[in-house]
Amino acid sequence: MDEEKRIIRLPARVTIRDVSPLYERIEAAKDMEGIVLDFAGVENIEYSGVVFLNWLRRKYPGLGFVNLKPETERLIGNRSGRTEPPVKNRDELSSRRFVERRADQVIGFRNELKRYLLFLADGIFYMGQYFKARRGVYPGEVIHQLHFMGYRSFPLVCMISFLVGTTISLTSAAQLRLFGADMLLADFVGIAMITELVPLMTAIILVGKVGASITAEISTMAVMEEIDAVRTMGVVPGKFLMVPRMIAVTIAVPLLIVIADFVGIFAGMLVARFTFKISPGAFLEEMLTAVFLRDFLIQMLKAMVFGWVVVISSGFKGFSVQRGAEEVGRATTESVVLSITMIIIIDCIFAFLFYY
Amino acid sequence: MNVIKANKLAAGYQGIPILKDLDFEIPEGRITVILGKSGCGKSTLLKSLAGLLPPLSGELFFAGEKIDFLSEKSLARLYSRIGVLYQNGALLNSFNLFDNVALPLRMRYPGMQPSVVREMVLARLDLVGLGGSGNKYPSELSGGMRKRGSLARAMILDPDVIFCDEPSSGLDPITLSDLDAFMVSLRDDFAMTLVVVTHELRSIRRIADRVLVLHQDRIHFTGSLAELERNNDRFIRKFFLREG
Repeated sequence: MDEEKRIIRLPARVTIRDVSPLYERIEAAKDMEGIVLDFAGVENIEYSGVVFLNWLRRKYPGLGFVNLKPETERLIGNRSGRTEPPVKNRDELSSRRFVERRADQVIGFRNELKRYLLFLADGIFYMGQYFKARRGVYPGEVIHQLHFMGYRSFPLVCMISFLVGTTISLTSAAQLRLFGADMLLADFVGIAMITELVPLMTAIILVGKVGASITAEISTMAVMEEIDAVRTMGVVPGKFLMVPRMIAVTIAVPLLIVIADFVGIFAGMLVARFTFKISPGAFLEEMLTAVFLRDFLIQMLKAMVFGWVVVISSGFKGFSVQRGAEEVGRATTESVVLSITMIIIIDCIFAFLFYY
Repeated sequence: MNVIKANKLAAGYQGIPILKDLDFEIPEGRITVILGKSGCGKSTLLKSLAGLLPPLSGELFFAGEKIDFLSEKSLARLYSRIGVLYQNGALLNSFNLFDNVALPLRMRYPGMQPSVVREMVLARLDLVGLGGSGNKYPSELSGGMRKRGSLARAMILDPDVIFCDEPSSGLDPITLSDLDAFMVSLRDDFAMTLVVVTHELRSIRRIADRVLVLHQDRIHFTGSLAELERNNDRFIRKFFLREG
């Protein structure tokens, strides 16, 4: 019985399918003395079989190989050990203290913030340079970007604004009815849409539609060496790619905001007409007692800052990609997260500055 | 006369040198081929020569003037005198071929009349055999066409030096032979200097005036093609002449 276990007979053809069962048998018998692999019946060995047998020879130096044909001996014998990749010292890694790793993260965040601010400064500098010399931007590119950011975002902005306006009006109408404060619906819709919802929703649409596209486009250009190509043409890539987008967003956002305001308030007006029988004229008259020109201007400023944040954050993440297609996806996701986070922070700052 | 001169140049990424102590010169009006094993730093060297990768140490001179990688003006002067043919063409995907080739011209000379731009671009496209393909987008072009389009773009501003990164990769022998013949005609007819990274031996024999061999992070050989073929160095014979 022991003799049967001691001699492991190899099949006629040693393939990748035989490797695992053979290894199990050898592992089971490894404590026994004088284990031998019998090659008597072997006619053919696939490459995986050669690799496996060569590895066995190195792993178990006491393992016997019997009845080998000379060509099999040559195949197995000729393979030297493979080159092992350097192994990271796990003890060293695990011994790094928690605080040390957090410190690395803080330093990483600080460096990222520094790069972001430098990128922002570059963007502003390039804008100034462009308006001074009118060079460095491809002719027609601003129009192209304006079409993409404005015209092609317009239907989505209208739809979202209408739906948000309707939802806000319906939910607040139900509450206001309890107190008989029907007319306050106009005030509520006006304040909510103009001070908060329209700029925020427009910015979120820009993040998803425009920002993600900017990051994906720029990062793909970086991976495909297009950025290098632009640079060696004597063109500054940051200026060439960012300035048209900055100009386009500066023009597109106010237009989108005005349209979104109209659509959102129109939705509120419809709800007021059908729930409280308030006429459009009365609705507008009431709304203008609560919403002032100042609110509209703050809204415009806020929305433009949001637009710039979307373009800068997306461009920053796009330019951070250096190699590898997988980085494109990562950068795009990060740009969406960064833009939304920045928008919420700036929204909060605006609320403190103007309404606290 | 030498158009490029490197002095104790070290090139690499993130402070880690891939190439060290490089001293060499690139002669004007000649085709210099840089060759070496995969991963030996050929493209890294080309990036440094093209002003895209600041050297870790040492000096680089272009037409006698030291390139200051921290100075935008110095780099702009360099870029105004070079053209680069990238490995995958690097044509801008959002522009058609005509606009890709016109891009450097429109950016450098914003006031140039559209009809002049058109003439300049179509002449270059004809020269590389892409006369009828101007309105095609890069995604509609084959690998060889993209490379020729990229070459048309690289030469639109009549640069003194054209850098070519692996122009032979992914090309069939006929297209490659045509491309080689075109590079030779750029040298012979327009006295252009070409620096070509390749390890396509047939191509090297067709185009090279001078060869620069990189091995083990240093320059292993510089000289003419004839000198290279006569060289008895073991690595060169193994690599270039395929002798064991």
